[in-house]
Amino acid sequence: MKIKVFLFGIAFALVSNFAWAGCSFTNVTEVRSLTNSFDAWKAVTEAMSECGNVTATLDSEFKDKQPDAFAANPSLYEIGGVSGSTITPLLNAGTIRPLDDLVAKYGQNLNPNQLIKIDGKIMGIAMSVNNQHLMYRKDILDDLGIAEPKTYDDVLAAAEKIKAANVVDYPFGGAYKSGWNIAEEFVNMYLGNGGDFFGDGNAPAINNAAGIKSLETMKKLTAYMDPEYLTSDSTYAQKQMQQEKIAMAYLWATRAGAMDNAEESKVVGKIVMASAPMGDVRPASTLWWDGIVIAKNISDAKADAAFKVAMEGLDTEMVTANNDDAVWLITGYQPGASAAGASATAANGAAPYPSGSRMGVMHSALGNGVPEFLTGAKDAASTLADIEAAYISAAKEKGLM
Amino acid sequence: MIETKSMKQPFSLKLSSSLFVVIWCLIASFPIIWIAVMSIKLPIDAFSSNPIAVIFGPVTSNQRYSLSFQELFFCTLFAVLFFKFREQLYTFYSQFIKFSYSVNITFFYIFSIIIFYFAFKAFNYFIPVIDVLNIKILGYTFEHYQTVWIERGFSNYFKNSVIVTFGVVIVSLTFGTLAGFALARTSSSIAFWILVIALVFRALPHSILVAGYLPFFMNSSEILRPILGDLAPTFFGKPYAVIAVLVAINQPFTIWLMRSFFQNIPSELDEAARIDGCSHFQAFIKIIMPIMWPGVITTGLFSFMLGYNDYLVTSLLLDGQNQTMVPAISGLFNRDTSTTDQVVAVAAAVSITAPLFLLVLFFQKQIVSGLTAGAVKG
Amino acid sequence: MKKKDFYLFIIPSLLMMFFFIAVPLAIVFQQSFYITQNVFQEIEVETCTPGFLKQICKTEIQTKPKLDLNGNLIKVSIFVGLENYKNLLQIEKLKKAVFNLSLNEIENITFWKAFRFTFTFCLITLPLVISLGLLIAITVNNLTQSIKGPVIFISLLPFIITPIIGALAIRWLFVGEGILTSFIEFFLERDIALFASAWTLEILMIIYRVWHVAPFAFIVFYAGLQTVNKETLESAVIDGANRFERLRYIVIPHLMPLIIFVSLIHLMDSYRVFEEIVAFSSQAYVISLQWLTYDFLTPDDTGNRLINRASTSAMLTMVGVTIIILPLLKRTWEDYREGKL
Repeated sequence: MKIKVFLFGIAFALVSNFAWAGCSFTNVTEVRSLTNSFDAWKAVTEAMSECGNVTATLDSEFKDKQPDAFAANPSLYEIGGVSGSTITPLLNAGTIRPLDDLVAKYGQNLNPNQLIKIDGKIMGIAMSVNNQHLMYRKDILDDLGIAEPKTYDDVLAAAEKIKAANVVDYPFGGAYKSGWNIAEEFVNMYLGNGGDFFGDGNAPAINNAAGIKSLETMKKLTAYMDPEYLTSDSTYAQKQMQQEKIAMAYLWATRAGAMDNAEESKVVGKIVMASAPMGDVRPASTLWWDGIVIAKNISDAKADAAFKVAMEGLDTEMVTANNDDAVWLITGYQPGASAAGASATAANGAAPYPSGSRMGVMHSALGNGVPEFLTGAKDAASTLADIEAAYISAAKEKGLM
Repeated sequence: MIETKSMKQPFSLKLSSSLFVVIWCLIASFPIIWIAVMSIKLPIDAFSSNPIAVIFGPVTSNQRYSLSFQELFFCTLFAVLFFKFREQLYTFYSQFIKFSYSVNITFFYIFSIIIFYFAFKAFNYFIPVIDVLNIKILGYTFEHYQTVWIERGFSNYFKNSVIVTFGVVIVSLTFGTLAGFALARTSSSIAFWILVIALVFRALPHSILVAGYLPFFMNSSEILRPILGDLAPTFFGKPYAVIAVLVAINQPFTIWLMRSFFQNIPSELDEAARIDGCSHFQAFIKIIMPIMWPGVITTGLFSFMLGYNDYLVTSLLLDGQNQTMVPAISGLFNRDTSTTDQVVAVAAAVSITAPLFLLVLFFQKQIVSGLTAGAVKG
Repeated sequence: MKKKDFYLFIIPSLLMMFFFIAVPLAIVFQQSFYITQNVFQEIEVETCTPGFLKQICKTEIQTKPKLDLNGNLIKVSIFVGLENYKNLLQIEKLKKAVFNLSLNEIENITFWKAFRFTFTFCLITLPLVISLGLLIAITVNNLTQSIKGPVIFISLLPFIITPIIGALAIRWLFVGEGILTSFIEFFLERDIALFASAWTLEILMIIYRVWHVAPFAFIVFYAGLQTVNKETLESAVIDGANRFERLRYIVIPHLMPLIIFVSLIHLMDSYRVFEEIVAFSSQAYVISLQWLTYDFLTPDDTGNRLINRASTSAMLTMVGVTIIILPLLKRTWEDYREGKL
């Protein structure tokens, strides 16, 4: 029986290779890519692989590896998958190349919205936008008579009711893993409350009312979360929602499609995607984009091939096949129910993530400092003061201050 | 050990001591066996909170492959008979195929696996199916291994591990045996100080050393440009650089181990050879090395384990397609966007452990002798 | 052996150790007194990123690093003396914390948190490893000969398995709704989260380390047990010593050199605790000295590695190594003088 399946598999692979080649050309140059690992990138890299000779590495720790890999001569990868913040180290080090010529040659199907321009030069091609927003179990909230939460106070009130009703393990879940994730949660909350991160001369300015309020809201939320929240990343929270362990989650829009994946999810059709809860000033969320860049330390011929392959990875065919994996910017995307949360958050006026060298240092300092407040080791004001001190010492060491 | 009457143990003591050994064996093997069991189940079963579900894999049984009671009985019977009569079977087998011992043994096991496969098929074909025993109870699937090795490119990482590990073993042994021999045949104070410094070096946490050459490796193409021009390579991400680092880190342990092995070989042997006109080097190659072979194998094993198991150095100095298997697991581990991805990481963990398992199976004696050398005097 | 031959034999090994251990050590020592910076400039940059339907273009002043003529980042190294050490050790905060006799406050300083854990980890695992190894050696020695081979095989498995894989296996068993956690919850009849607090994580790490190293102690002690003098044991029985006294007064003193050897090797290795932190993802709760250095070496969000801070942390870690290795050095020196080396 197994041999039959095996032979059939071979036959199918052979047939599909000829009958339905997803790529419009056969790639002969070796092209390697390093990207993040969520579903949208799986879809794009699979589409790219159809061209042949493409090796895709998907790693959620890609941002630690990219700067050195691209700075190597020759670069260890041709294509890099980046987001709004991870393009910054590559930009600063000058290890990615301007794409104006390549866009003129091969980029006819690109929307103007997809061209990432720095100082007038196209440095990257965006494929999707992303932000974090609220997802909740409509059936549970309807049963308990709770309206869609609009602010975090609403969320906390809803969590209290859900906890009292004891219908799920934990009312709330989110990517609160210490390090990058928890820092991002603070950034979202703080920007939602109208806070500014920096003052004059790159000095930190987070130890204020908005900062303290943000920390305290996060702490109140953790009371309704799985106690191991400091080890929980987006995947873990997504699984919790899929396995009916939580009723509400604050997750990336790219995770929305997974909720309706019948192979893994027990909550198909029960989740509503809603806007991120409002802070005092704007939604407690940040706008991100994901896209590709091409390395500089490679030959022009390789860059040519890599860009062509990337265009194949970002074409309409890929989007049609994977419509709900992300909020795509590519022609042919039909926004469905899974994009409702992302578009509502953007429509409500969420701010883009303020990427830059100093923000990178601040993000790292937050990633180490915020957990200390949540575990109860320090109070809010001294946590923020310590984060500012860590930022100052790291910024001084880097020459930013 | 002949037990005199005065030394005889009461039954209760013997029972409790045997019980303790059984408990220890369970504790020692449980994590490894468990992740192996998890790796052949579908995610729903693998991560179930109910241990029975994990072992028997009901969902896997339904949706993938399954062994029935009958088949399970056959497998157990085969395993028990094989284990009991393996010596006789090997003697029978070696009448037909005669190579060196290690080659023979390898072929013997491979041959036995093939025999088992056909016997299993024959059993299914010939023995009538007894309804009661036909209940499918043990679910299994090898799809995760397929994912790991084919889709996630683990076969490439395996190749890299092989390159790095064998590079480390060969270079380490070459340098280490020469140095160990020299140190065993001298009692000068220089030798003592070298040994002491080696001991200090062995204690150093590896991160300290990597902190030293990481910036150099990153910028090596610029630093070496005046000498090598445009051909100056970047050492970061290159396997040969990692081999050099691991060999150096391993040297202190290697020379201590080789030295203690060489000390057990009387110096009269090579002195006799030198009286006959050989140089030190010739005496070393022709007389000492043939006797020394077991010690070399033992040291080679420990070099192998160091090169194969290393995480810190390889994760900091290798990247992309050049990565070895062990740091690659953190890539799989961080990749988990679904429970399937997590089981794939478990399958990768088992894949990494399998060669080590075989290593202990074949080289148990040498590993034990390596651990005790230098500890037990005489 | 003539001097010339001796050097010829030993040169390759010495060169490797010199270039890859001694030289980096010196470089790390030097690096710890410097900081390396990019040179920044403030320039006005227009950035266009995709909005939801239309592009958003922003012009603002950004701090960007300067590049040289080859397109590489300009880096300058500035001598700062003991500044790095002061930043890492936070002496002022430490004095206040000690004055307040507050362990919590001491743990709030990253370096001392790592130090405390590494220190307690070494000290707690040591007696556990020795006693478990001894117990296994004695009980295995009691078995019938035919079973000893397979038992030793099984016992070696925890020692051989790749450290990070072993720690991952323990993690999968205990995290969240892992099989062993569910088992414990079943008995305690309440929900527990072993990965949510520092002390449970530390216990898990200690359990893992003892599981991993006990086989080494077992093999060494087992070999030593084979050389116990039977006649001494028998005359002790005749003198009326019971089993426990025989163990205490004959077997253990006989094994004492081996116990010391295993202890020293174990201290050296457990001081380097690192893979457990990675496999358990415990950075928020528990960190070790070697992990701290490793963390400084991994790139942060701006792609920068804090090489100088890593060097400082590495040098401070060396202090502990030196202290741990002194007894071993002393023993080696004594062996040498007695000609037993």
